[in-house]
Amino acid sequence: MNPRNRIAALAPVAATALLLAGCATSGSGENDSEPEPQEVSTEITDEDVNLVLAYVDDPPTPALVEGFEEEYPNVTIDAQQTDFGNYITSITRSMSSDDAPDLAQYNPGAMRSLIPAGEVLDLSAYYDGYGWDEAFPQASLDQLMSDDEAMQFATGSLYAAPGALSVLGVFYNKDILADAGIDAPPQSLAEFEEALAAVQDNGDQPMSVGGLEVGGFQLWNLLLNSTGDPQEYLDWVYGAPDSTIETDAAQQAAQTISDWVDEGYISPSANATADSDALAEFTAGEAAFLVTGNWSAAAIDDELGDAGGFFILPRDDADEPPVASGSSVAYSISSRTEHPDVAAAFLNYMSSAEAGQIAIDTGFMPVDTDAGAAAEGTLGEVAEAFAPVAENDNIVPFPDFAAPGMIDQLKAGIQGIISDQMEPDQFLASMQETWTSYHG
Amino acid sequence: MANPATTEVVRPGSPRVRTTSRRSSSATRRRRTKALVYLAPALLIYTGFVIYPALNTIQLSFLDWDGVQAPTVVGLDNYAQIFQNPELYRSVLNALVLIVFFTVIPVAVGLVMTALLMGKVRRGMTFFRTVFFLPQVLPLVAVGITWRWLYAETGILNQFLSAIGLGSITRAWLGDYDLALYALGFIGTWVMSGLCMMLFLAGAQKIDPALYEAAKLDGAGPLRQHLSVTLPGVRPEITIASVITTIAALASFDLVFVTTDGGPANQTNVPALLVYRLAFTRGEVGTASALAIALTVLVVVFVTLIRRITREAS
Repeated sequence: MNPRNRIAALAPVAATALLLAGCATSGSGENDSEPEPQEVSTEITDEDVNLVLAYVDDPPTPALVEGFEEEYPNVTIDAQQTDFGNYITSITRSMSSDDAPDLAQYNPGAMRSLIPAGEVLDLSAYYDGYGWDEAFPQASLDQLMSDDEAMQFATGSLYAAPGALSVLGVFYNKDILADAGIDAPPQSLAEFEEALAAVQDNGDQPMSVGGLEVGGFQLWNLLLNSTGDPQEYLDWVYGAPDSTIETDAAQQAAQTISDWVDEGYISPSANATADSDALAEFTAGEAAFLVTGNWSAAAIDDELGDAGGFFILPRDDADEPPVASGSSVAYSISSRTEHPDVAAAFLNYMSSAEAGQIAIDTGFMPVDTDAGAAAEGTLGEVAEAFAPVAENDNIVPFPDFAAPGMIDQLKAGIQGIISDQMEPDQFLASMQETWTSYHG
Repeated sequence: MANPATTEVVRPGSPRVRTTSRRSSSATRRRRTKALVYLAPALLIYTGFVIYPALNTIQLSFLDWDGVQAPTVVGLDNYAQIFQNPELYRSVLNALVLIVFFTVIPVAVGLVMTALLMGKVRRGMTFFRTVFFLPQVLPLVAVGITWRWLYAETGILNQFLSAIGLGSITRAWLGDYDLALYALGFIGTWVMSGLCMMLFLAGAQKIDPALYEAAKLDGAGPLRQHLSVTLPGVRPEITIASVITTIAALASFDLVFVTTDGGPANQTNVPALLVYRLAFTRGEVGTASALAIALTVLVVVFVTLIRRITREAS
């Protein structure tokens, strides 16, 4: 065979095999059985039970599993970790297969299609049985509730329970701020801008922003949480009918980022900066502020020590309690499990004081707001700043929650604003378009 | 090999002595069966992991399917989207730009390098070859991350530009709205040039030295020799290099994924990246499949074109 022909024959194959190879065919997943109003019990069997748990985030899951097994020695949980990228691409298939795990770490994006397919257990009966309305902060449960079609959230039934919470805020370098003559973290957006200007006048880079990944739109999110109407934002993210993100506050938050680029507070190179690069820049003492969450606290504490501080940007009306974006490491139960009561006992364990302590020890915020003593160092500052948010049920979801593909609009839009190629209006319009095409 | 029908030993007393033709056909059948047994392992793997997924992708491209629930048939809607949705068709245009950087420039560079190295450099040839081929050996993810650092605001490239007095044009190249795609393409040039040069050098070594001698006697200088002897001699290698690098350009994923992830503001989106996003994060398996098929068709068109062009030239 002529070598040229052989190459020509291989070419289409190479491209076709590209990425979809290995995806199984045709839609399965017709509703096997609509979950009957089941008999549930908050007492679990004392026979030996083995459960399989599929999870992504290393802390705090293994510690929580260990804690639960100590309390219920007859239960063994086989925890199987998958890295994030593979987890979100494979969980839909594994949850709808015959050997589905009994428990799975909840991911709103990846599991959207599993809820209408009836693969995720409706936890309403356990919610009532265990009295979870008292045990968990309602704001943390809202993100885990949806209607049968998984179109609208914070309504309908509960599909997961949170084991540990995460929160978004601003880390700052106390040494750089002190050099610029600032002794305390900013208490308002105006003070934040004054601090940025003071740091810049002193010759330091004010902000480190990971615009290549999520850092850019998290800054926008943080500004909006300070100035916008929280209910308007919640309605939009949860998919309440006729909601919109095209509000003055959202427009102003995007405009602020644009202004900060013009002022030089944000470098135009932010668009080529990954989140890990931004964190590295900040921990090396090369920038005064970094917007990210508790998941970075340990690294910042290691590198900056006492110089690492954290605050949540207060509301522009100082009398209102602060609002912060956050999510949770939460767990769902498979509709196919043979031991739903035991799996539910694991979820209930999340509301215990022990689980709260485990969350703190592993760098998260506890579900139980009274749980344990606050950690020390930077993480202690995060816990302190988070307390008024949790007590007032002011945790709101991240904006990418609003629809599949929203994260692409958020990233691309903020990149457009940073490179001065997109107007705030266009940015909001592109997001609203994605929202409308999904929620109708 | 002789014809088995005529060489078969006819045992005495065999009742089938006269049925030559029937014996012949049964022998052929046996031979075919044997061949099939040898082919089976490769055939099964190829069918199961290449042919079947490809056909499956075609089937999926006519469906609206989120990956879990029952799909609905939508006909050609997914294909129509490729032409209507600017995000999708711009990604295809970006891939075409990348062909310049992945194919056209590397083939040109490879030819120049071949001209420089052919017949003159004897010492250190292995060294040069290893150095130029190195980018092919490195995983593209590592290449991408390294280049992200080289291109960074404080990276080596900008340090160099500042040092030679071009400090005014320094920027975070991969974050620049207008230049990110070209910066990305240049990484492809760096990766592919070595491959092209290696292929051309290998091809040039097959050329009969007498041809060069004859050309020299006819008064041809080094440039004339290169154009009239080397270039026609490495034509098959040029075809192969063009095909390989064009496929790499059109189907590029890993490099884009680790350097810009389609940014800034969708300026470096490529089809393969969108296929991945659509299928695995947006739950639009049908649209993803249609885009993958369109990409395949595009690759076939380009490969056919390349073969046409190189054939006509000969």
